[in-house]
Amino acid sequence: MQVSFSNGRYTLPEYPFRVPPELSGPQRAHPVVIVGAGLAGLTAACALAQLGVPAVVLDEDNTVGVRGLSSRGVCYARKSLEIFDRLGIYRRMLGKGVRWSVGRTFDGDEQIYEFDLASDSNASRQPPFINLQQFYVEAFLIQRATELGSVDFRWCSKVVKGEPGASCVKLSIETPAGAYSLLADWVIDCSGVGRVLAEALCIGRLGTRSDDRWCIADVLFDEDLPVERHTWVSAKFNDGRAVWRHALADKVWRLDYQLDPNATAGDAAHEDAIRERLRCQFGRDVACRIVWTGAWSYRSECLKNFRQGRVLFAGDCAHTMSPFGGRGGNSGIQDADNLAWKLAWVIAGKADASLLDTYSEERRTAALENIRIAERTGRFLRPENAAQRIYRDATLALARHHPFARSLVNTGRMSQPSTYRDSRLNVGRGGGRSIPNLPLTLPDGREGDVVQLMKWAQGDLVVLVDAESADLIALEARFPVRIVASARLGSARAALAANCGWQAGHLIILRPDLYCAGTFECGDVAELEHALRSLTCT
Amino acid sequence: MTDHTPDDWYEELMDAHRGLSDAQSQRLDAALVLLLANQIADPRALRGCLQAASAAVLRQERQ
Repeated sequence: MQVSFSNGRYTLPEYPFRVPPELSGPQRAHPVVIVGAGLAGLTAACALAQLGVPAVVLDEDNTVGVRGLSSRGVCYARKSLEIFDRLGIYRRMLGKGVRWSVGRTFDGDEQIYEFDLASDSNASRQPPFINLQQFYVEAFLIQRATELGSVDFRWCSKVVKGEPGASCVKLSIETPAGAYSLLADWVIDCSGVGRVLAEALCIGRLGTRSDDRWCIADVLFDEDLPVERHTWVSAKFNDGRAVWRHALADKVWRLDYQLDPNATAGDAAHEDAIRERLRCQFGRDVACRIVWTGAWSYRSECLKNFRQGRVLFAGDCAHTMSPFGGRGGNSGIQDADNLAWKLAWVIAGKADASLLDTYSEERRTAALENIRIAERTGRFLRPENAAQRIYRDATLALARHHPFARSLVNTGRMSQPSTYRDSRLNVGRGGGRSIPNLPLTLPDGREGDVVQLMKWAQGDLVVLVDAESADLIALEARFPVRIVASARLGSARAALAANCGWQAGHLIILRPDLYCAGTFECGDVAELEHALRSLTCT
Repeated sequence: MTDHTPDDWYEELMDAHRGLSDAQSQRLDAALVLLLANQIADPRALRGCLQAASAAVLRQERQ
């Protein structure tokens, strides 16, 4: 089932509702139940399926997207693309989406800042960004989960209550065929801002709200525009307020217009208002079809804990922030990937359940960093007080002639993978650093990359060592680890050395989520064993 | 030949503000802070200056 596009109109797939077996009588507990088939939930489902863990996915409706045809989250960052490569939807993303790396920022008609993310020599196989409408990405993930076979999708299923117990969680679910209870060993709540379970479990959160409001317009038009991210701090065609413009699939352009806080959202987001802005921008009528339009605002919130016993929280359910820089959807995808290998280990008895606390610690670190960075942009675009306004205007004035000021102009710092600086899983130098998808030679001699190496490892750690001694290999029987001689790596060795401070004579431990766990001297097997105990919390 | 003294720079700064409205003075100071911060560049030195400034003038106002 696919998203289809014809005559300028999208049709979203409708997935079938099946009467759940629980309505005929009680069933056994499921190992994992995921609440919400959005970016985080679907990434978790695919990642777990690939690791051999079956999951039930519950979703309130029976289609992709969150608010109908809205493009919603459109910028998929390199780290997310590397995850998608490992899960098997990257080719689909590449085929349908739009790659970009150049961004330009304007004040009025004048360009004041530009960047090219591709010039950041990262040597990953994946580009800095692919833009694609969120409903396409979700459809690809559902398609992939279906191919992997062990995901039980339950559409039109609304979770109304969650009762955690000592050995499992009981979820109360409403469906068109009636209400029922579902038992789960583990629940991953990816229900977005709805947050049914978090409210019920009384997990506190920190939050702030802004009065900044915007409207999305997804517009199909044939103008020959460069495939770049363009942002205006102040656009003449938006009454001096900010504007974003991104290319999406199917010649649809995503425009975000900052609204006058006193304007009625309905009027400002109205199709006529959009057409008027486009007319202003291009100086003439543009033949266009408005695919979707709607207003949005944002708040910053973060749960105090992403784990409560057998319930884990990921994506918008765990944290929300302004969309500047594309940090929302991307951090949800990366939450799911951080969690999946850890949960798979716990379920298989390879690690203690306390490993799941490191999911909360690491991803909370990332969420708070993302929130902080996104809030800076929010303040630049909508100053909260006189001082912020004065400094912002000074920055813009200086940007005209002074290069240093241009990089201070903040219309969004694009999503980057976080470093888990204080993680308990950092067992050596370079621990907690994200590893790019570098090309390398695989253990079987084929040309591959880090993603394929970790896929080959099937959810185990990979330890790259100088020499594969018998003592080291013996560890493979006792821990989820593969010992690989680093001589096979080829040119990736230098790149990993630069990335993680990996020195000659040292080993390096790679995590399934393409993070470095640490590097240290190769000498003592006992030292590696100690590190593996830390990583499995045993 | 005259040696440049701190008083000379102080006067230049005051001259730059002469005749400006309060709003213009604030804009000038903001631009100047950003330019000087870029010149100094060292984050620890910058933080030290910011803390010293806060301590000096904000404590004063609270008394």
